[in-house]
Amino acid sequence: MSEMLGSEFMRTALITGLIVGAACAYFGVHVVLRRIVFVGAALAQVSSAGVGLALLLGLNPSVTALVLTVGGVAAFSVQVRDRKHAQESLIGVGYAVASALAVLFVAKSAQGEAHLLDVLSGNILTVAPGQLWWAAGVCLVAMALHALFHKQLLFSAFDPDTAQASGFNVGFWDIFFFVLLGVVVAVAMRLAGTLLVFAYLVLPGITGLMLSRHLNGIYTIAVGAATIATVAGLYLSYTMDLPTGPAIAACSFVLLLVAWVISKFRQ
Amino acid sequence: MTRHSSSADMAAWVARRAIGGSGSTARELVEFDHADLGYGKRRIVADLSLALCSGDHLAIVGPNGSGKTTMLKALLGILRPMSGTVRRHADVRFGYVPQRQYVDEAYPFTSLEIALMGRYPLLGVFARPSRRDREAVMQCLDHVGIADLAVRAYRELSGGQKQRVLIARALAAKPNVLVLDEPTNDMDLGSEQAIMELVRHLRLVDGLTVVMVSHLLNVVANYAETLVILQDGARVAGRAEDVLSSENLSRTYGIPVQVADLAGRRVVVPGGSYE
Repeated sequence: MSEMLGSEFMRTALITGLIVGAACAYFGVHVVLRRIVFVGAALAQVSSAGVGLALLLGLNPSVTALVLTVGGVAAFSVQVRDRKHAQESLIGVGYAVASALAVLFVAKSAQGEAHLLDVLSGNILTVAPGQLWWAAGVCLVAMALHALFHKQLLFSAFDPDTAQASGFNVGFWDIFFFVLLGVVVAVAMRLAGTLLVFAYLVLPGITGLMLSRHLNGIYTIAVGAATIATVAGLYLSYTMDLPTGPAIAACSFVLLLVAWVISKFRQ
Repeated sequence: MTRHSSSADMAAWVARRAIGGSGSTARELVEFDHADLGYGKRRIVADLSLALCSGDHLAIVGPNGSGKTTMLKALLGILRPMSGTVRRHADVRFGYVPQRQYVDEAYPFTSLEIALMGRYPLLGVFARPSRRDREAVMQCLDHVGIADLAVRAYRELSGGQKQRVLIARALAAKPNVLVLDEPTNDMDLGSEQAIMELVRHLRLVDGLTVVMVSHLLNVVANYAETLVILQDGARVAGRAEDVLSSENLSRTYGIPVQVADLAGRRVVVPGGSYE
C-alpha cells in the first residue's frame, strides 16, 4: 500500500475516488430512496454526450457536460414528478439517445474513435490535481446545499402531497435536488467515468439502507462503504493490474453482499 | 390508548356551540362560489357552491375519479379553480392527512420522525426541529394514543397505528381544520371505528373543523354534518340528515338504497326493494 501511495498519480487517484465516492454515495442514498436509479444512469450518459459535443465543437468539455446535464435534469425531473405513472420509457429513450450521441460526437471529432473510452468515460488514474480540487469544491458545495435544505428536500420527496399542502413548493425542491445531482454526476463522470459513477451512486446507498434504520447512519455507512471500496479497488487495480473503475465497483458489490448477509443474519 | 366517551364528547361540543353561537352564525372558513375544478382543459367538478363552516364535519363521498381529491386540492389551495372562486378565511390553518398508500415506506423513519415533519411549516428556512418541537410532537402522539410507538419504525406499524401517526403529524402545526383523505381505507372494523371516534373527539372536544374524503358512505353516515356525494357526474350536497334519505340515495346511485337506523346508528344498505 505504501508503495502504491508513493506515486503522485495514485495518490491523486485515491483522493479523487474518496471525494467523488463520498459525494455520489451521499446523493446515491436519495437516488435509491426516490427510486430514480435509472435517472442517475441516464444523467451520466447525458454528461458523456456533453463531453462528446464539446470535443466536436471545440468547447470546454467540463462546462458543456455540466450545462447539458443540468438541462437533462429539467426534462427528467418532470417525468418522475408523477409517481403514479412511471415514465421509465422516456428516461430509457434519454439514456439510449445520450449514449448514442456521445459515441457519434466523438467519432466525428478530431480525436476520433481511438480515444473513445478515455475521452468519454474519464479515468481516475489520469486526473490532474487542478481538476481534482475544482471537482472537490463542487461536490462539497453540492453536499452542503443539500444538508442546508435537508428538511425541505426530504419532505418533498417522502410525501409530496402533504409537503405541498403544508406550503412547500415541491416542484422547486424536486428541481433543486435534480440540479445538485446533475452537477455532482457531471463533475464526477469527468473524473471517474460512467461505470464507476453509477456504481458509486447505487451500491453504497443500498449498503447503507440494508444496515441502518436511521438516515444519519445510512449516510455514514454509504460514505464509509464508498471509501472502503475505493481503497480496496485501487489496491487491487495496482497489484493485479486490473482496470480501476471496475475494480472499485466490484469491491463495492462485495461490500453490498456482506451487508446483505449481515441484514439476513439480524432477521 | 386514550378512550373517547361519545356522550361526554357530545356534551362538550354542545356547550361550545352554545357559547360560540348557533350553526347559522358559525364562521365560514372556506367558500366555493360557482367553482369549476379540473386539470388543464379537463373539468372534473362543475359549478360547485359550498361553504365549510367552523366546527363542521364535511364529508365528500364518491368513487375513484369522481372528483373528491380534486375538491380537496382546491380546498387546500393547491389547485386553482378553472372558473369561479374558492375563498379561504385568513385564519384557516390546515392539517392534512394524506392517503396512507401515498406515504413512501421505503424511507426509514420512525413515528416520531414522521410526526416531526408536521412542525416543518413552523420552522425557518434553515432551521431544524428543536427540543420544543419534539416535545410538542410527543404530545400529539400521546393525544392520538400512540406515544409508546414514537421510536418504532413507521413501516412496521399496523394500518390503524400508521393512520394515527399521520393524524399526529397533521396536529403538530396546531391546525383549525383537519383534512383527511380516505383515513379508513383497508382497515378492519375495529380500527375503522377507532379512527372515526378519534376524529369525532378531535372535532367535538378539541374544536377542529373536519373535512373528510371517503368512498365509504356507511363510514361517514354517522359522523358527517354536511355531505357531498359525487356519483357519475351528478352531485348531491347538503346537511347529512337531508341527503341521507332512501329516496335521495336511490336516485343518486340509480339502484334501490335503504337508509335505516339500527342500534342507534345510521346504516345505508344497497339493494332490496324501495317504494
